[in-house]
Amino acid sequence: MPKIKAKRTGFVIDMTPLVDITFLLLTFFMFTAKFKSQAESEQKFVIERPQVTADTSKVPDRDVAIIKIAVDSVTFDTTYYYEVANETDREQIWVRTDAVPAELKDKAQLQVSVEVLDELVRNTRLVRPETQFAIDADKKLRFKWISDAMDVLRMNRATTFNYVTEKKQ
Amino acid sequence: MAGGGGQLKVERQKRGKASKRKKLKRVGFHLDMTPLVDITFLLLTFFMFTTTMATPQVMEMSVPPEKTEIEVGESMLLTIFVRNDNKVFYAHGQEDPTEISLKEIKGLAERENLRPEVVNKLITALKPSEDASYGTIVNILDELNLAEIAISAEVTKKLDAEGNPMERERRFTIAPLNEDEAAKIAEL
Repeated sequence: MPKIKAKRTGFVIDMTPLVDITFLLLTFFMFTAKFKSQAESEQKFVIERPQVTADTSKVPDRDVAIIKIAVDSVTFDTTYYYEVANETDREQIWVRTDAVPAELKDKAQLQVSVEVLDELVRNTRLVRPETQFAIDADKKLRFKWISDAMDVLRMNRATTFNYVTEKKQ
Repeated sequence: MAGGGGQLKVERQKRGKASKRKKLKRVGFHLDMTPLVDITFLLLTFFMFTTTMATPQVMEMSVPPEKTEIEVGESMLLTIFVRNDNKVFYAHGQEDPTEISLKEIKGLAERENLRPEVVNKLITALKPSEDASYGTIVNILDELNLAEIAISAEVTKKLDAEGNPMERERRFTIAPLNEDEAAKIAEL
Protein backbone atom coordinates (compact mmCIF):
# COMPACT_ATOMS: atom_id res chain seq x y z
CA MET A 1 0.00 0.00 0.00
CA PRO A 2 1.56 3.26 -1.02
CA LYS A 3 1.89 5.80 1.70
CA ILE A 4 0.03 8.99 1.25
CA LYS A 5 2.56 11.77 1.14
CA ALA A 6 1.70 14.39 3.70
CA LYS A 7 1.67 17.89 2.32
CA ARG A 8 4.49 19.99 3.66
CA THR A 9 2.99 22.94 5.43
CA GLY A 10 6.10 24.94 6.43
CA PHE A 11 8.34 24.25 9.35
CA VAL A 12 9.30 25.68 12.71
CA ILE A 13 12.86 26.23 13.88
CA ASP A 14 13.34 26.43 17.60
CA MET A 15 15.19 29.68 18.09
CA THR A 16 15.50 29.42 21.86
CA PRO A 17 19.15 28.17 22.00
CA LEU A 18 20.19 30.82 19.47
CA VAL A 19 18.59 33.55 21.53
CA ASP A 20 20.16 32.16 24.69
CA ILE A 21 23.66 32.30 23.27
CA THR A 22 23.10 35.68 21.69
CA PHE A 23 21.92 37.17 24.96
CA LEU A 24 24.85 35.65 26.77
CA LEU A 25 27.32 37.20 24.34
CA LEU A 26 25.43 40.48 24.37
CA THR A 27 25.59 40.78 28.14
CA PHE A 28 29.27 39.82 28.10
CA PHE A 29 30.19 42.48 25.56
CA MET A 30 27.99 45.06 27.26
CA PHE A 31 29.76 44.58 30.55
CA THR A 32 33.26 44.50 29.12
CA ALA A 33 32.77 47.47 26.79
CA LYS A 34 34.67 50.54 27.80
CA PHE A 35 34.04 53.68 25.87
CA LYS A 36 36.53 56.28 24.80
CA SER A 37 36.90 59.17 27.18
CA GLN A 38 36.44 62.74 25.99
CA ALA A 39 40.19 63.24 26.07
CA GLU A 40 40.80 60.22 23.86
CA SER A 41 38.31 61.36 21.26
CA GLU A 42 39.97 64.79 21.13
CA GLN A 43 43.49 63.57 20.52
CA LYS A 44 45.14 63.65 17.12
CA PHE A 45 47.86 61.10 17.66
CA VAL A 46 48.33 57.41 18.16
CA ILE A 47 50.57 56.08 20.89
CA GLU A 48 52.44 52.88 20.20
CA ARG A 49 53.00 51.70 23.73
CA PRO A 50 55.97 49.57 24.71
CA GLN A 51 55.10 45.92 25.05
CA VAL A 52 55.87 44.05 28.24
CA THR A 53 54.99 40.72 29.79
CA ALA A 54 51.42 40.36 30.95
CA ASP A 55 50.62 41.93 34.26
CA THR A 56 47.37 42.35 36.14
CA SER A 57 47.82 45.98 37.10
CA LYS A 58 45.61 48.29 35.09
CA VAL A 59 45.52 52.03 34.66
CA PRO A 60 43.44 53.39 37.56
CA ASP A 61 40.01 54.68 36.47
CA ARG A 62 39.63 57.43 39.02
CA ASP A 63 41.89 60.21 40.23
CA VAL A 64 44.52 59.60 37.64
CA ALA A 65 46.47 62.22 35.71
CA ILE A 66 48.11 61.07 32.51
CA ILE A 67 51.07 62.71 30.86
CA LYS A 68 51.02 61.64 27.25
CA ILE A 69 54.07 62.07 25.08
CA ALA A 70 53.42 61.55 21.42
CA VAL A 71 54.10 62.72 17.93
CA ASP A 72 51.30 64.82 16.44
CA SER A 73 49.96 63.13 13.32
CA VAL A 74 49.59 66.45 11.46
CA THR A 75 52.63 68.54 12.43
CA PHE A 76 54.97 65.67 13.42
CA ASP A 77 56.04 67.57 16.54
CA THR A 78 56.68 65.71 19.75
CA THR A 79 54.87 67.33 22.65
CA TYR A 80 53.45 66.66 26.05
CA TYR A 81 49.73 66.26 26.55
CA TYR A 82 48.11 66.37 29.93
CA GLU A 83 44.79 64.96 31.01
CA VAL A 84 43.03 64.45 34.32
CA ALA A 85 40.36 61.77 34.60
CA ASN A 86 38.33 63.36 37.38
CA GLU A 87 36.21 66.07 35.73
CA THR A 88 35.66 68.28 38.76
CA ASP A 89 39.35 68.20 39.60
CA ARG A 90 40.20 68.93 35.99
CA GLU A 91 38.07 72.07 35.96
CA GLN A 92 39.75 73.36 39.12
CA ILE A 93 43.24 72.57 37.83
CA TRP A 94 42.60 74.26 34.50
CA VAL A 95 41.25 77.36 36.24
CA ARG A 96 44.17 77.55 38.67
CA THR A 97 46.73 77.27 35.90
CA ASP A 98 47.34 80.70 34.37
CA ALA A 99 49.14 79.30 31.36
CA VAL A 100 45.95 77.64 30.11
CA PRO A 101 44.15 80.09 27.79
CA ALA A 102 40.47 80.71 28.48
CA GLU A 103 39.30 79.14 25.23
CA LEU A 104 40.95 75.84 26.17
CA LYS A 105 39.41 75.65 29.64
CA ASP A 106 36.74 73.19 28.53
CA LYS A 107 39.17 70.81 26.81
CA ALA A 108 39.78 67.44 28.43
CA GLN A 109 43.31 67.20 27.09
CA LEU A 110 45.87 69.98 26.84
CA GLN A 111 48.92 70.19 24.64
CA VAL A 112 51.61 71.69 26.86
CA SER A 113 55.27 72.55 27.18
CA VAL A 114 57.45 71.24 30.03
CA GLU A 115 57.04 74.50 31.95
CA VAL A 116 53.26 74.39 31.77
CA LEU A 117 53.35 70.69 32.55
CA ASP A 118 55.20 71.49 35.75
CA GLU A 119 52.57 74.05 36.70
CA LEU A 120 49.75 71.62 35.91
CA VAL A 121 51.31 68.81 37.93
CA ARG A 122 51.81 71.18 40.87
CA ASN A 123 48.18 72.30 40.73
CA THR A 124 47.02 68.70 40.45
CA ARG A 125 48.95 67.89 43.61
CA LEU A 126 47.34 70.91 45.31
CA VAL A 127 43.80 70.07 44.24
CA ARG A 128 44.03 66.38 45.07
CA PRO A 129 47.28 65.13 46.59
CA GLU A 130 46.40 61.45 46.18
CA THR A 131 46.10 61.69 42.41
CA GLN A 132 48.16 59.02 40.71
CA PHE A 133 50.32 59.92 37.77
CA ALA A 134 50.96 57.88 34.68
CA ILE A 135 53.28 58.45 31.76
CA ASP A 136 51.93 57.22 28.46
CA ALA A 137 54.60 57.58 25.82
CA ASP A 138 55.37 56.21 22.41
CA LYS A 139 58.04 53.49 22.45
CA LYS A 140 60.04 55.05 19.62
CA LEU A 141 60.61 58.35 21.43
CA ARG A 142 63.96 59.44 22.82
CA PHE A 143 64.28 58.80 26.53
CA LYS A 144 65.00 62.51 27.05
CA TRP A 145 61.28 63.28 26.73
CA ILE A 146 60.38 60.76 29.38
CA SER A 147 63.19 61.66 31.77
CA ASP A 148 62.15 65.33 31.58
CA ALA A 149 58.59 64.36 32.47
CA MET A 150 59.95 62.21 35.31
CA ASP A 151 61.92 65.19 36.58
CA VAL A 152 58.76 67.30 36.58
CA LEU A 153 57.03 64.64 38.69
CA ARG A 154 60.05 64.31 40.95
CA MET A 155 60.18 68.08 41.55
CA ASN A 156 56.54 68.00 42.54
CA ARG A 157 57.15 65.12 44.92
CA ALA A 158 55.14 62.63 42.93
CA THR A 159 57.84 60.01 43.25
CA THR A 160 55.72 56.96 42.48
CA PHE A 161 54.05 56.85 39.13
CA ASN A 162 53.22 54.42 36.35
CA TYR A 163 54.35 53.77 32.83
CA VAL A 164 51.45 52.83 30.62
CA THR A 165 52.32 49.70 28.67
CA GLU A 166 50.68 47.07 26.58
CA LYS A 167 50.60 43.32 26.90
CA LYS A 168 53.14 41.48 24.75
CA GLN A 169 51.36 39.41 22.11
CA MET B 1 9.21 32.13 11.53
CA ALA B 2 6.81 29.64 10.11
CA GLY B 3 3.33 28.89 11.31
CA GLY B 4 2.12 32.48 11.21
CA GLY B 5 3.18 33.09 14.77
CA GLY B 6 1.88 35.86 16.86
CA GLN B 7 -1.62 34.77 17.64
CA LEU B 8 -2.65 32.46 20.37
CA LYS B 9 -3.87 29.17 19.02
CA VAL B 10 -6.26 28.66 21.87
CA GLU B 11 -9.83 29.53 21.62
CA ARG B 12 -11.14 31.17 24.67
CA GLN B 13 -14.08 29.56 26.31
CA LYS B 14 -16.61 30.89 28.67
CA ARG B 15 -16.18 29.34 32.02
CA GLY B 16 -19.01 27.85 33.95
CA LYS B 17 -22.01 25.74 33.14
CA ALA B 18 -23.34 27.88 30.29
CA SER B 19 -21.11 26.12 27.77
CA LYS B 20 -22.00 22.64 26.93
CA ARG B 21 -19.40 22.34 24.23
CA LYS B 22 -16.38 20.14 24.77
CA LYS B 23 -13.50 22.15 26.22
CA LEU B 24 -10.61 22.52 23.77
CA LYS B 25 -7.29 21.39 25.06
CA ARG B 26 -4.61 24.12 25.21
CA VAL B 27 -1.95 23.17 22.71
CA GLY B 28 0.70 25.75 23.59
CA PHE B 29 1.45 28.88 21.63
CA HIS B 30 4.09 30.31 19.36
CA LEU B 31 5.76 33.57 20.12
CA ASP B 32 7.40 35.27 17.18
CA MET B 33 10.97 35.80 18.30
CA THR B 34 12.23 37.40 15.08
CA PRO B 35 12.20 41.09 16.20
CA LEU B 36 13.82 40.13 19.49
CA VAL B 37 16.59 38.25 17.71
CA ASP B 38 17.03 41.13 15.25
CA ILE B 39 17.59 43.70 17.97
CA THR B 40 19.75 41.39 20.03
CA PHE B 41 22.02 40.66 17.08
CA LEU B 42 22.23 44.35 16.25
CA LEU B 43 23.33 45.21 19.78
CA LEU B 44 25.67 42.24 19.89
CA THR B 45 27.49 43.28 16.73
CA PHE B 46 27.65 46.88 17.98
CA PHE B 47 29.25 45.92 21.27
CA MET B 48 31.56 43.42 19.60
CA PHE B 49 32.93 46.04 17.25
CA THR B 50 33.29 48.79 19.84
CA THR B 51 35.03 46.71 22.51
CA THR B 52 38.78 46.71 22.72
CA MET B 53 40.08 43.65 24.45
CA ALA B 54 43.69 44.69 25.02
CA THR B 55 43.32 47.33 27.70
CA PRO B 56 46.57 49.07 28.61
CA GLN B 57 48.34 47.96 31.74
CA VAL B 58 50.82 49.81 33.90
CA MET B 59 54.33 49.35 35.22
CA GLU B 60 55.02 51.03 38.53
CA MET B 61 58.09 53.16 38.91
CA SER B 62 59.54 54.95 41.90
CA VAL B 63 62.17 57.64 41.87
CA PRO B 64 64.01 59.19 44.81
CA PRO B 65 62.52 62.59 45.74
CA GLU B 66 65.75 64.45 45.13
CA LYS B 67 68.87 63.81 43.17
CA THR B 68 71.12 62.94 46.06
CA GLU B 69 74.52 61.32 46.00
CA ILE B 70 74.74 58.19 48.08
CA GLU B 71 78.02 56.50 48.86
CA VAL B 72 77.93 52.81 48.10
CA GLY B 73 80.51 50.08 48.08
CA GLU B 74 81.69 49.09 44.63
CA SER B 75 80.70 45.49 45.10
CA MET B 76 77.18 46.61 45.96
CA LEU B 77 76.54 48.29 42.66
CA LEU B 78 75.43 46.85 39.37
CA THR B 79 75.03 49.41 36.63
CA ILE B 80 73.18 48.88 33.39
CA PHE B 81 73.98 51.39 30.67
CA VAL B 82 71.97 52.03 27.54
CA ARG B 83 73.81 53.61 24.63
CA ASN B 84 72.39 55.95 21.97
CA ASP B 85 71.89 53.04 19.58
CA ASN B 86 69.94 51.08 22.22
CA LYS B 87 72.81 48.67 22.91
CA VAL B 88 72.93 47.58 26.54
CA PHE B 89 76.04 47.29 28.72
CA TYR B 90 76.55 46.30 32.34
CA ALA B 91 79.30 46.88 34.87
CA HIS B 92 80.09 46.06 38.50
CA GLY B 93 81.12 49.13 40.44
CA GLN B 94 83.71 51.05 38.46
CA GLU B 95 84.70 48.19 36.18
CA ASP B 96 84.69 48.52 32.42
CA PRO B 97 81.26 47.91 30.91
CA THR B 98 80.54 44.72 28.97
CA GLU B 99 77.91 44.42 26.29
CA ILE B 100 74.84 42.32 27.06
CA SER B 101 71.75 41.44 25.08
CA LEU B 102 68.25 42.22 26.31
CA LYS B 103 67.48 38.53 26.83
CA GLU B 104 70.50 38.03 29.10
CA ILE B 105 69.55 40.80 31.54
CA LYS B 106 67.14 38.60 33.46
CA GLY B 107 69.81 35.94 34.06
CA LEU B 108 72.37 38.58 35.00
CA ALA B 109 70.05 40.23 37.54
CA GLU B 110 69.19 36.88 39.11
CA ARG B 111 72.82 35.79 39.32
CA GLU B 112 74.05 39.08 40.76
CA ASN B 113 71.26 39.59 43.26
CA LEU B 114 71.61 36.07 44.66
CA ARG B 115 75.30 36.28 45.40
CA PRO B 116 75.27 35.47 49.15
CA GLU B 117 77.40 38.47 50.19
CA VAL B 118 75.15 41.05 48.51
CA VAL B 119 71.63 39.62 48.91
CA ASN B 120 69.22 42.52 49.53
CA LYS B 121 72.12 44.96 49.41
CA LEU B 122 72.90 45.12 45.72
CA ILE B 123 71.77 48.32 44.06
CA THR B 124 70.80 48.08 40.43
CA ALA B 125 71.24 51.38 38.65
CA LEU B 126 69.85 51.95 35.19
CA LYS B 127 71.62 54.68 33.28
CA PRO B 128 70.07 55.31 29.93
CA SER B 129 71.41 57.74 27.39
CA GLU B 130 69.03 60.55 26.53
CA ASP B 131 68.93 59.33 22.95
CA ALA B 132 68.03 55.75 23.77
CA SER B 133 64.47 54.83 22.92
CA TYR B 134 61.84 54.68 25.62
CA GLY B 135 60.78 51.22 24.39
CA THR B 136 64.23 49.77 25.18
CA ILE B 137 64.19 51.22 28.70
CA VAL B 138 60.79 49.72 29.40
CA ASN B 139 61.95 46.36 28.02
CA ILE B 140 64.94 46.41 30.40
CA LEU B 141 62.67 47.31 33.32
CA ASP B 142 60.43 44.44 32.30
CA GLU B 143 63.36 41.98 32.30
CA LEU B 144 64.42 43.23 35.74
CA ASN B 145 60.87 42.82 37.02
CA LEU B 146 60.81 39.26 35.69
CA ALA B 147 64.10 38.50 37.42
CA GLU B 148 62.57 39.78 40.66
CA ILE B 149 60.19 36.78 40.77
CA ALA B 150 63.03 34.26 41.00
CA ILE B 151 65.07 36.50 43.31
CA SER B 152 62.33 37.02 45.87
CA ALA B 153 61.47 33.30 45.75
CA GLU B 154 65.10 32.45 46.62
CA VAL B 155 65.49 35.17 49.22
CA THR B 156 62.32 34.30 51.12
CA LYS B 157 63.55 30.69 51.43
CA LYS B 158 66.44 31.87 53.59
CA LEU B 159 66.12 32.60 57.29
CA ASP B 160 67.40 35.70 59.03
CA ALA B 161 69.27 35.81 62.37
CA GLU B 162 66.03 35.38 64.34
CA GLY B 163 64.87 32.43 62.28
CA ASN B 164 62.17 34.30 60.38
CA PRO B 165 62.04 34.12 56.61
CA MET B 166 63.92 36.98 54.99
CA GLU B 167 62.10 39.61 53.03
CA ARG B 168 63.20 40.80 49.64
CA GLU B 169 64.21 44.47 49.59
CA ARG B 170 64.62 45.71 46.11
CA ARG B 171 67.11 48.47 45.48
CA PHE B 172 66.81 50.08 42.15
CA THR B 173 67.47 53.50 40.79
CA ILE B 174 67.30 55.24 37.47
CA ALA B 175 69.76 58.02 36.73
CA PRO B 176 71.00 59.92 33.71
CA LEU B 177 74.18 58.82 32.03
CA ASN B 178 77.07 61.14 32.83
CA GLU B 179 79.70 62.21 30.30
CA ASP B 180 82.51 59.92 31.49
CA GLU B 181 80.25 56.90 31.32
CA ALA B 182 78.92 57.95 27.94
CA ALA B 183 82.48 58.24 26.64
CA LYS B 184 83.37 54.86 28.09
CA ILE B 185 80.59 52.98 26.38
CA ALA B 186 80.82 54.94 23.15
CA GLU B 187 84.05 53.15 22.23
CA LEU B 188 82.74 49.64 22.79
